[in-house]
Amino acid sequence: MIELLTDYTLRNVVLGATLLGAISGLLGCFAVLRRQALLGDVMSHAALPGIALAFLLTGQRTTITLLIGAAIAALVAALWLLAITRTTRLKDDTAQAFILAIFFGFGLVLLSHLQRHPNAAQAGLKSFLFGQAAALIERDLWAMLAIGGPALALTLLFWPQIKLITFDPDFARSLGLPVRQFEILLTGVIVAAIVIGLQTVGVVLMSAMLIAPAVAARQWTNRLETMTLLAGGFGALAALIGAWISAIGEGLATGPVIVLTMSGLTVLSLLIAPERGWLWRRLRLARGWKPDDRV
Amino acid sequence: MFPAVEIEDLTVAYSNKPALWDVDLRVPRGVLMAIVGPNGAGKTSLLKATLGLIKPAAGSARILGRPYAQQRHLVAYVPQRNSVDWDFPTTVLDVVMMGRYGHLGWLRRPGRSEREAALAALEQVHLADFAHRQIGQLSGGQQQRVFLARALAQQAEVYFMDEPFQGVDAVTERAIINILRDLRAAGKTVVVVHHDLQTVPEYFDQVALINVRCIAAGPVREVFTEANLRATYGGRMNIFGNSAGGTAPAPSLAPGD
Repeated sequence: MIELLTDYTLRNVVLGATLLGAISGLLGCFAVLRRQALLGDVMSHAALPGIALAFLLTGQRTTITLLIGAAIAALVAALWLLAITRTTRLKDDTAQAFILAIFFGFGLVLLSHLQRHPNAAQAGLKSFLFGQAAALIERDLWAMLAIGGPALALTLLFWPQIKLITFDPDFARSLGLPVRQFEILLTGVIVAAIVIGLQTVGVVLMSAMLIAPAVAARQWTNRLETMTLLAGGFGALAALIGAWISAIGEGLATGPVIVLTMSGLTVLSLLIAPERGWLWRRLRLARGWKPDDRV
Repeated sequence: MFPAVEIEDLTVAYSNKPALWDVDLRVPRGVLMAIVGPNGAGKTSLLKATLGLIKPAAGSARILGRPYAQQRHLVAYVPQRNSVDWDFPTTVLDVVMMGRYGHLGWLRRPGRSEREAALAALEQVHLADFAHRQIGQLSGGQQQRVFLARALAQQAEVYFMDEPFQGVDAVTERAIINILRDLRAAGKTVVVVHHDLQTVPEYFDQVALINVRCIAAGPVREVFTEANLRATYGGRMNIFGNSAGGTAPAPSLAPGD
C-alpha cells in the first residue's frame, strides 16, 4: 500500500480514478432521476469524434484540448437529439439509437483514418475507447478538476432549484423558474461528468459510471442529499479499486475493470439494501407482511 | 374590481391540431369553479396555458387584472398527481416546502420560516405526522393531499388544481372539498379540473363546460343544464346513467347548490 503514495504513476492512477468516480457519481444522480440515463450513453459515445476532430484540427493532444473537443461533440449530439424529437415524429429511443450510431461511427472512421498516419500521438487516442488509467499524468488530474470543479460548484449553488426542477418541472415553471435554462445547465453538467472520465473509462462504458453509482446509492437512502453523496462515494471506491487492479495487472483495459467493480457494488446494493433490497423484501414476505406495507 | 381569472381568445394547438379553440372565460373572485369536459377536451391545456406552462397559439390570460408573469406570487398550482415520480428520493416536508420556493431569492436556502409554513400546511391536510416519510410510502390519497399542502404553502389568492379528486377515496375527497371550502371562505378563488359530473352541483358555485371550445360557463344553477352537457359530451351522456336508472336527470335540479 505504501507504493500508492510514492510511485508517481500509481499515485496519479489512484487520484485520477477517485476523482472521476466521485464526480461522475455525484452528478450522475441527476441523469438517473431525470430519466436521462440513455442520453448519457449517447453523449459519451458522441464524444469520440470530438476527440479525434480536436486532434486533427489543432494537432495537439493535450488532455484539455481533447476533452473540450469531446464536450462540444457531446453537446452537439444532445442538441441534435432535442431538435429531432421536437421537429419530427421520431420517438426518443429511436432518435437516441440513431444519433449514437452516427456519432460513434463517425468517431471510429476518424480514428481509423488517423491510424494511417502513424505518429506517436494517435496511439493515445485509441485509449479513449476503453480507457487507460496507467497513462494518467498529473496534468490530466488538473484538467479533470478544471472541468469537474465548476460543474460541482454550479450544482451546489443552485441545489434547491435543481432539486425542484428534477422532481416537478411543471411546478417549477409555474413558480417562474427558468426551467429551460436549468435543463441546459444540467445537460452541461452531465457532459462535464462524462468528459472527465473518458481517459480512464473510455467512451463506450462511461455512461455506466454515471448511472450505476446513482442506482446503487438510491437503494440505501430516501434523501436526495444522502443519495448524491453516497453515489459519489460508490463511484470513487469502484474507480479506485478498478483502476488499481488494471494498473498492476497486465493488459487489463481500465474502463471494463472499473465498470465491472461498480456493477458488483450495484448488484450487491440491489440485493441487500434494507427496505428496497431484494433480500429484504423477500424476508418481509416470508414473515407474512404485505410487500407494500404502506400506512 | 378585476375578476380572479380572465382568459381571452385562448387557442392552444399541438402539432397543428387545436386542443383549445378561441376560449373566453371569466372566473369571478371568491368562487369554486369546476372545469369539466370529456377526455381530450383541453381542460389540462387550459390550465397549463393560463399558467404559462405551454405557449398558446393565440390569446391571453390575466390573473387579477395582470399577466400571469407579474402575478406568480398570487397563484398556486396543483399538477396532476401522476405527473411526477413518487419514488423520487425526498420527504413529504421537502415537497411541501417547494411551495415556498417562489418566495425565496436565488441564492437563499429554504430555512426555518419555510419549514414552519410547510408544517402548517401539512397540519391543514392532516398529514403532519407524515412530514418525514419518503413520498413513495404514501397512499394515492395522501400523495394528493401532499400536493394540496404544497399549494397551500404558496399562500396564494388564486388556486389552480388539475384533477385533485383523481383516484382518491371518499374520505380524502371529503377532506379535500372541506379545504377548498375553507379557501373560498377566506376569499380565495379555486379553479378545479374535475371529472365527476355528479358532484359538480354539490361542490362548486361555477362551472365551465369545455370541449376544445368553451361551450358554456357561469353559475352552476344556470349553466349546468342537460342541453349544455349534451353539447359538451355529444352522445356520451351515459356518464349520468347510474344515478337515475339510465335516463339523464336534469342536472339543474340537482340539490346542494
